Amino acid sequence: MDIAAKIRADFPTLEARDGRKPVIYFDNACQTLRPRQVIETIQRYYQEFPACSGRSMHRMAAEVTREVDQARERVAKFLNAGRKEEIIFTRNTTEGVNLIASTLNWKTGDVILVSDKEHNSNLIPWQMVAKRHGAILRIVRTCEDNTFDMEAFEQALKAGPVRLVAMGYTSNLDGVTIPAAEIIKRAHRQGALVFLDAAQTVPHQRVNVRALDVDFLAFSGHKMLGPSGTGVLYGKYRLLEQLEPFLVGGDTVSTSTYDSCQFLPPPEKFEAGLQDYAGIMGLAAAVQYLQSIGYEAIEKQERMLNEFLSEGLEEIPGVRIIGPSDPRLRGGIISFYVEGIDHHRIALMLDQMANIAVRSGQHCVHSWFNARGVIGSVRASVYVYNTLEEAKLFLDSLIKIRKVL
Amino acid sequence: MFCIIAFIVLSILGIFSASNRQLAREALDCVLRRVTLRPCTTGFDEKMKAKILGYVITRSEAGARFLNRYFEPLSWIFFFLLVGSTFFAVRGVYLYYTTGSCNGLNQGGFCVFDPTGQNTQFSGVDESCPVSSEGNVLNLTLEGVDLGGFPKLAGNPNAKSIVFIGSYGCDYSRKAYPMIRRLAQKYGAELVFLYYPVKEHSDYLAKVGYCAYKQDPQKFWDLNDRLFAADKTRLEDEAFVQELLKASGFNAQSVQFCAKDFQTEWVVKQQLAEVRKTNFYGTPTVFIRNEALVGPKPYRVYAIALEGLLYWLK
Repeated sequence: MDIAAKIRADFPTLEARDGRKPVIYFDNACQTLRPRQVIETIQRYYQEFPACSGRSMHRMAAEVTREVDQARERVAKFLNAGRKEEIIFTRNTTEGVNLIASTLNWKTGDVILVSDKEHNSNLIPWQMVAKRHGAILRIVRTCEDNTFDMEAFEQALKAGPVRLVAMGYTSNLDGVTIPAAEIIKRAHRQGALVFLDAAQTVPHQRVNVRALDVDFLAFSGHKMLGPSGTGVLYGKYRLLEQLEPFLVGGDTVSTSTYDSCQFLPPPEKFEAGLQDYAGIMGLAAAVQYLQSIGYEAIEKQERMLNEFLSEGLEEIPGVRIIGPSDPRLRGGIISFYVEGIDHHRIALMLDQMANIAVRSGQHCVHSWFNARGVIGSVRASVYVYNTLEEAKLFLDSLIKIRKVL
Repeated sequence: MFCIIAFIVLSILGIFSASNRQLAREALDCVLRRVTLRPCTTGFDEKMKAKILGYVITRSEAGARFLNRYFEPLSWIFFFLLVGSTFFAVRGVYLYYTTGSCNGLNQGGFCVFDPTGQNTQFSGVDESCPVSSEGNVLNLTLEGVDLGGFPKLAGNPNAKSIVFIGSYGCDYSRKAYPMIRRLAQKYGAELVFLYYPVKEHSDYLAKVGYCAYKQDPQKFWDLNDRLFAADKTRLEDEAFVQELLKASGFNAQSVQFCAKDFQTEWVVKQQLAEVRKTNFYGTPTVFIRNEALVGPKPYRVYAIALEGLLYWLK
């Protein structure tokens, strides 16, 4: 019995309903489905102790405080962080990127290195830093097949005072994972900090922040079976201490007068206002669920599906897969376009024909598409609960569409 | 072109469904852009085309291929069909409102608003009641018909004229008569009553009516009302008719005597011959301002014929 067959019953969304076939959910790079364990954890908060964490003294508040603390600890261990205070809960990866972009002490002429296929969330914040602080945003070109070009990176590193290397760890466009450890080593050698957008990495492969020696790393809960609107920013504690607060207000200070305040240490100084406690608890439940499945099983399932899908797609006339031809380099993402056929039309027809959910468009990587004159693509992103039967149906449907259009 | 059809269809579906309402809004945006010669940038038509193709392809690949290839021409065809069907639908509603039938005045055929065809049924001349055969509407006329000897209820000065041909034994006449009476009264119209027995047993009543009117034109209308309202199974009973005559204030014996007179029979025959000159083919037939209405119509139809579409303002 493969892993998908074992766990599918945990996902209520995968059940047939309203007389329709069960959804074939291939939009996992946007957000994944949630297992009952996560849903029940969220429900538990609202039913049993819907109170504030850290502020009130009553038993319900103490329960929340304990749960949030445990969640932080679980996430810290999950990433192998040095201490749980290095974990900041955010709403999503984008907020994590913005936090770093807004709180680093920028100087005019600081160079920020990004790749040429960054998600808008890891591009626009740096464009704004360049505009506001006179920093320089430098784009590192990838190879022809969209894999990381270490030589080009090395040249870019040596070309100027690089303050920060901000890279998507795994691309949401094509699923390619960059050689992060080597990049970090070289960046540190040049005195640069490294931020990794790991939104598409943490759900699919083990990430060890200490082994990587990464300075900052952000990811989202909703792409890894967790609740919507949850995310994590990891930062080395000594670096977090040096950062200015991002959003300020309640829960970020130990005390205040009419004209001053005393900020709490990280992570509190970055977690302003009342937090999404149910979401944080749900995120911890998602982490626990992922750990119970194990990354080996996840990677094996995704690889098997991607190989099958890639092989099938290559046989369809006019289909072009974005990224390297070897599916093992593309994780669980297969981004493709069919010459002469609108990508949105394909996505809509798949939905209508077989209840297959895929993403179509430019996937928030407009810069890559615009630079190459590609209008858009269809992105099928699989996850651990997807099956070979679903992949077959996807290909069959696509073949029919190709014949008709 | 597709946007226009989609807008109309989705607007109707949107009455019942919020998701269709949203699509209707998108379609409207697309329509507005098209009519102002701007490109439809929302991708609405593409989206809908994909959805339709996605639906069709699961049933027939060949059908989907055909639809994909000829989507635009098919859109035009459906557009013209839509315009045509809309025209006929609006026309049908208008005709039903003004004539009581979706198909036009005195026309049979299915009408969704009158599915049983009640407004076009009539009792055929010389046949059993009811009969729903159709005569020649175009031949109906009052030209050359001498209405002088028939019961007449005067209206206002310069009053419009209503001529009612009916039979006491015909259910449809019985249904229409009270409305005609009410109409004539309300608008002060002149009412002429032409009795025509579509059932043999009521021949006798033609003579009774003639004699009663001759005896007292005023009381005649009371008797007429009673005859139309009475239990029709008892109209054959002379004793019952005598009771009605008495109730209307007539000398029943005198009327009965007159009805059996040879002279009366001759006059009535002349009158029935005169009625037949109208070329009517069933009762009730109502002539209002030279328009003939066959079968019991809703009150508004008679009112429109008499006073026009804005009758309710008068």
